[in-house]
Amino acid sequence: MIFAGLPFTALIGIFGVAAAFATALYILKLRRRTVAVPFSKLWERILRDKEATSLFSKLKRLLSLFVQLALLALLALALGDPRATASFLKGRNLVVLVDASASMQATDGSPTRLAAAKKEVQKLIRGLGGADRMLLAQMDATVTPLGPMSGDTSELERALDTIHATDTRADYSRALRFATDSVRGLENAEIVVVSDGRLGEATDASGKVKLEADIRFTYVPIGTASRNVGLTAFSVRRYPLDKSRYEVMLEITNTGPEPEEVELSLFGDKNLVDLTKLRLGAGERLPRFYPNLSGASRTLEAQIKALPGSQDTLPADDHAYALLPERRRAKVLVVSQGNSYLEAALLLDEYLDVRVVSPKQYAETTATSGVTQDVVIFDGATPASPPRAHAIYLDPRGSGSPVKVEGELKQPGFDRLTRNHPILRWTALDDVNVARGHKLVAESADKVVGASDQGAILIAGQRGSFKFVALGFDPRESDLPLRVAWPVLLLNCINWFTDEDARYISSFRTGDVWRVPVVSASGQALLTRPDGLEIAVPVHDGRAVYLGESAGFYGVRPLDAHVVSPSPKDAVEGTRTAFAANLLDVEESTLEPVKELVVDGRKAGALVGFQIGVRRELWIYLLLAALVLTVIEWITYHRRITV
Amino acid sequence: MGFLDSILGRNVALGAVPRGANADLFDDDFQRKLDYLALVSKRAFAGRMRADRRTKKTGAGIEFADHRDYQPGDDFRYLDWNVYQRFDRLLLRLFEEEEDLAIYFVIDASTSMGFGRAEAEGKKFRYAKRVAAALAYVGLANLDRVSLTSTTDKVLSRMPATRGKARIFKVFKYLSELESDGCTNLEDALKTFVAQNKRRGLVVLASDLYDPHGFERGINVLRYNKFDPFVVHVVDREDAKPKLAGDVLLYDCETGDEREVTVTARVLERFEIAYKEYLEEIERFCSSKQVPYIQADVAVPFDELILRVFRRGGFLR
Repeated sequence: MIFAGLPFTALIGIFGVAAAFATALYILKLRRRTVAVPFSKLWERILRDKEATSLFSKLKRLLSLFVQLALLALLALALGDPRATASFLKGRNLVVLVDASASMQATDGSPTRLAAAKKEVQKLIRGLGGADRMLLAQMDATVTPLGPMSGDTSELERALDTIHATDTRADYSRALRFATDSVRGLENAEIVVVSDGRLGEATDASGKVKLEADIRFTYVPIGTASRNVGLTAFSVRRYPLDKSRYEVMLEITNTGPEPEEVELSLFGDKNLVDLTKLRLGAGERLPRFYPNLSGASRTLEAQIKALPGSQDTLPADDHAYALLPERRRAKVLVVSQGNSYLEAALLLDEYLDVRVVSPKQYAETTATSGVTQDVVIFDGATPASPPRAHAIYLDPRGSGSPVKVEGELKQPGFDRLTRNHPILRWTALDDVNVARGHKLVAESADKVVGASDQGAILIAGQRGSFKFVALGFDPRESDLPLRVAWPVLLLNCINWFTDEDARYISSFRTGDVWRVPVVSASGQALLTRPDGLEIAVPVHDGRAVYLGESAGFYGVRPLDAHVVSPSPKDAVEGTRTAFAANLLDVEESTLEPVKELVVDGRKAGALVGFQIGVRRELWIYLLLAALVLTVIEWITYHRRITV
Repeated sequence: MGFLDSILGRNVALGAVPRGANADLFDDDFQRKLDYLALVSKRAFAGRMRADRRTKKTGAGIEFADHRDYQPGDDFRYLDWNVYQRFDRLLLRLFEEEEDLAIYFVIDASTSMGFGRAEAEGKKFRYAKRVAAALAYVGLANLDRVSLTSTTDKVLSRMPATRGKARIFKVFKYLSELESDGCTNLEDALKTFVAQNKRRGLVVLASDLYDPHGFERGINVLRYNKFDPFVVHVVDREDAKPKLAGDVLLYDCETGDEREVTVTARVLERFEIAYKEYLEEIERFCSSKQVPYIQADVAVPFDELILRVFRRGGFLR
């Protein structure tokens, strides 16, 4: 037994003074209230009997004194905060990782797995010993400590309340590394994982997570059910050559052990587009493809619902969201003496507003008119100064060219291609025959997309805030216009300029760090979450960065949006980027709880040593005993037992 | 006092006692009822004046009582000549003489009679005065000689014997001026009383009988001196249930004796029992000595006590 509070000598002193004071009060003659009676002889009659028992009365008063002294002794001991030596020296240091991944939203808990996990953790908190300390951390796409390591149960319970479920998968390895780092060097370290066990392998880029031998590893399993059907893939894209139409691909997976029947609904702009009843066998993955969809759909949502007799335990994977790439009419100005191949290629995309002007007309009026264009195509005519728009230069010449044009090349070909560049998507330029061209010299920031052995002939780059593509030969002096690659190359260039390439991601995945293109001078953007909450997010390299945790539709706009627009609403809408986010994770949709957690070949043990309501601080019990004694003393005094 | 005003109109003006002071002793209706009641004594007492009561004294009455032998010097007029003719013997006829009765009201004016909590100050003393006033009025109405005396451990004051209803105001005045203050010692006080009053008669003792020297002694003094004691035991039931709790220092309001007591519910219970036993002891004593005893509970309405309890007890007819 040791005293964690006041030292023993101080306690003796306090008790001595208090006991002396109490005893002195008992020794002092009681000052009685004086009361007149009409006939004291009557009182003498009954007091004669009482005097016969005066010794007993004195003993009772003595008992009262002893009760008081015992009370003081208990209070003095409580001040000392006595603790068993073992429990004081061996307080545990716990890191409790509470799984808040999507699978914890399964409704087989009370009401969810996360709620059940919270109850388990609450039991842990209430069963903490006096010397125990605990650190609570939420484990989802990242690991979030919810406070410092503390033995304060109320503080821990407050932290526990802040845990909320996310639509992400748990980053188990990161959480374990965090936990081991937190308890490293501490005595009686213990890592407690409260989860359904669907955490995957504890492996990351650094390799397998290893737990130190002196760290106790404990697992509190949560969840019972395993029947679930979820959407595990959902994607949408517009057709590259007919952007008014789009196709949708989705996948439904029955992760449970029994066949399930579900109703699949597809909504476009919140209107039902398709409704299908599906039967999935145990563990079956069922892809569905919806080609050639059209209409003014902007938002797409897939939804599944279990039919009677079937069971779908996890609601988080029953919805999937996607946004079609926004289509707007791009203004394209063609500066040419006339090029049928070029004009025909541009006709393929009905979302292009194409206007053709001669180089002379361009130099005299159009360039100085101030009318903004999205893209200007210079067909063999290079302007004196670059336009305030994205530009395609076909066979550029002179000082106005964005790249330096050197000597003529005889029969250059695309010997080297940067195939992953957006403008080359779905193109095959390897065998294009070119009669002649000119060597282009790229600047350091420019990208040589295509080059012959003699030099670069296709360069993409950026000057100021405008992109350009320069082709080092006249297409008419090659067989390129006769190939499918020609219009595709042109449209790829325009899409690249307007960020409308066919590589458009219809949705982000929750749990990933999203990088959403946004133009912001202040370095900050305002992100609107699916629940309507707006938060400021940082913008790096022209992209808003955010770790998404919830599925749904998002919007992002720069915080410094000052766009000249007819109305403020248009100003906001014009700069707002919308996108969708989805869980789409088979691992999270698989709900069957894992019985045993194994990390690096080491099995997690069962939880021991936590008993609710049994606290190891003795002072609480001493105070309770003092309270009981006070009640006894009060009752015996007022019932005139000890007086 | 309307009734008295009507029959004693002259005396109303003479009343030395302020109306307000007497008003609470007994009201007009009460007096009207008392007017028809007669005070009964178990014995007949000799009196100086002819009144409504018979005494054993033979004299000038009209009702035959007895014969006795003629003695020289007797009045010839009372010789019974019929008896002489029949038995040849001189017998003298004796007649009962109707005389007035001497009634003494002894009022205990000790401190305990005036004891009480603030809201019931002197409840017993007031009650005793009312009883005395009522009975005195009845006595006066029956042409008895009424005398009042207040005592503690001595005779404090005395109102000389008087007759006639007109003297009731004198009674009121006397009673209203009484104060309760002093120790009770009935024996000493009544010894003085009997010494002062040679004429025997009915003694109405109105007291709480809280006599530390023993209530028996006082009553016995009256008995031994051939007075006819009538005990009106003024009782306040609240005395049996004192509102006490905890550690207290009790002191006797008369003697000043102090006792340290820790009052508990059990102690209060025992006190109540002791109080009842004390009342029973008094009643038993009076009963054994054939002393008329009435317990006048202050909680019982005053008129009820006079009209019912006294009648039930054979005190009034």
